[in-house]
Amino acid sequence: MLSNRTIDKPRKNLTNYLILPSVIFVAAITQIPFLLTLILSFVRWNVKRPDLPIEFAGLDNYVFIFTDSKFYRVLFNSLLQAGIALALCTILGFLLALVFNRAFRGIFIARSLIIIPYFIMESVTGIIWKTLILSPSFGINQVMASFLGMEPVAFFSSKLSLVTVMILIVWQWTPFLFMILLAGLQNLSDDVLESARIDGAHGLKMILYIKVPMIKHYFEVGMMFGLINILKVFGLVFVTTQGGPGVSSANLPYYVYRTAFYDWQMGRSAAIAVVTVAITLIVLQSFFNLIRRKNFIARKQRRAA
Amino acid sequence: MKRSVSRRLKANTATILTWVLALLYAFPILYMLITGFKPEEMVAPPRLMFTPTLDNYDAVISEDLMLHSFSSVFITIATVVLTTLLAVPAAYSLVYGNLKKAEGIYYWFITTTLLPAVAVVIPIYLAYNFIGLLDSKIGLILLYTGAGVPLMIWMVKTFFTDVPYEIIEAADIDGCTRFTSFFRIILPLIKGGVFSTALLVFITTWNEFFFAVNMTYSKSATLPVYLNRFLTQQGYFWAKMSAASTLVVVAPVILGFFTQKTLVKGLTLGAVKG
Repeated sequence: MLSNRTIDKPRKNLTNYLILPSVIFVAAITQIPFLLTLILSFVRWNVKRPDLPIEFAGLDNYVFIFTDSKFYRVLFNSLLQAGIALALCTILGFLLALVFNRAFRGIFIARSLIIIPYFIMESVTGIIWKTLILSPSFGINQVMASFLGMEPVAFFSSKLSLVTVMILIVWQWTPFLFMILLAGLQNLSDDVLESARIDGAHGLKMILYIKVPMIKHYFEVGMMFGLINILKVFGLVFVTTQGGPGVSSANLPYYVYRTAFYDWQMGRSAAIAVVTVAITLIVLQSFFNLIRRKNFIARKQRRAA
Repeated sequence: MKRSVSRRLKANTATILTWVLALLYAFPILYMLITGFKPEEMVAPPRLMFTPTLDNYDAVISEDLMLHSFSSVFITIATVVLTTLLAVPAAYSLVYGNLKKAEGIYYWFITTTLLPAVAVVIPIYLAYNFIGLLDSKIGLILLYTGAGVPLMIWMVKTFFTDVPYEIIEAADIDGCTRFTSFFRIILPLIKGGVFSTALLVFITTWNEFFFAVNMTYSKSATLPVYLNRFLTQQGYFWAKMSAASTLVVVAPVILGFFTQKTLVKGLTLGAVKG
């Protein structure tokens, strides 16, 4: 369809140059700093100790982090957090989408109530959950506990802090999957659903064997973006637990931050950042493979061309 | 007769349950909204009955909040404008130019959005420290534009591709230059999409926390950073904190309503056609 686009195009098309400013700009902000991070990861540099030399450290930074038990804990936290949060967001988002895929007066407002948390900044989410909701002294947590005659739950103890951060991530990112999956359900054709119904598909069967496979692509897109963003979560950790107690609720982005801006170890922090990028890519690639569409963006492109 | 009554009853119950779910999900936000109007002594421990007051808003709308609001507004608007000026021509060039590697470049833009911010923050921090861009609005605007451009190219290219080529061809035949056909023909068709994408960039920039907290500390600190400081310094004044939080989320929540459709469309168009 689009192949005829090239018919009347002159060889030297000025239109092509319109891409240049964006390419230069984005490269300057993302690619070049990442290369510098890579270089920094082989350097020993404590910014707050100008008396110490900045020197080439070889693989020391990498050796340090891979022999550091805290790092493994943080890595474990990150992967567990991403996996569980993504699964919960998807399940919850889908269930909500099923419930909200109907028509009644005010449905738009009801849906919007579900979507709002996605547009709330992480620092506000962190603040209201930490104080108004989960605080063991005066939060809803305490109200519920005294109502039930129990001790309030210690959400910010070393045992639960990781779970608490996960709850917040799920609350913030379920709306995203809800939006995408609801769009999928709304796009299902009534004819197909009707004929499935005539063939005897009802209730759970209808959902599992007809609806889920038919909006498979929406699941893939939603989960992919969800995963990318959940792996990046920083503000929620920063505002609520500061990664603590200890590193019990720290994830990789937060650990990079702490190593750079608390310990001022630039080289070591850069090394953790490089490892974070590597792990992010591995996780995303595995997820791509898992959903067996190695390159959906390129496919989308090919289809358009 | 009896059957239709029971069916209606069923539908009403479902509707009520849906509302209950919606209200429960948004409860933390609604509770924040209510707490902002409570007198401070009614908040901890929480009381059900209270006379609404505007005292908290009076207290938090201070010079400090105004200063940081100005930072946020300035940085966000500058970012949106700069991002649009860079990304729309770039997306145009990807769709209507004859770049050999258009697909590769487009894909490259998208992969940059996968890069976590921590991967670039250290060199940028050191460079900003060196050239004096720490705690400056320009510093943040540059970073946010770098993050906004790929997002916008991604979405806007989808909208460009949606414009039927026959229309542009017809304009070409009628003697329209590229320039006029863009402003007269294409832009009116995609302006809704561009506008919603710009709103999306607005929201993500307004809410951004990581770079803001690392690159600014006083005069250029944006509202998310200010709020976090509010929590650490005045963490016991929950009513005031709720009022401040409410003020800060009003803009993204309202804009979010308008942009959600485009967001979903831009992200899932490939899936719909797949």
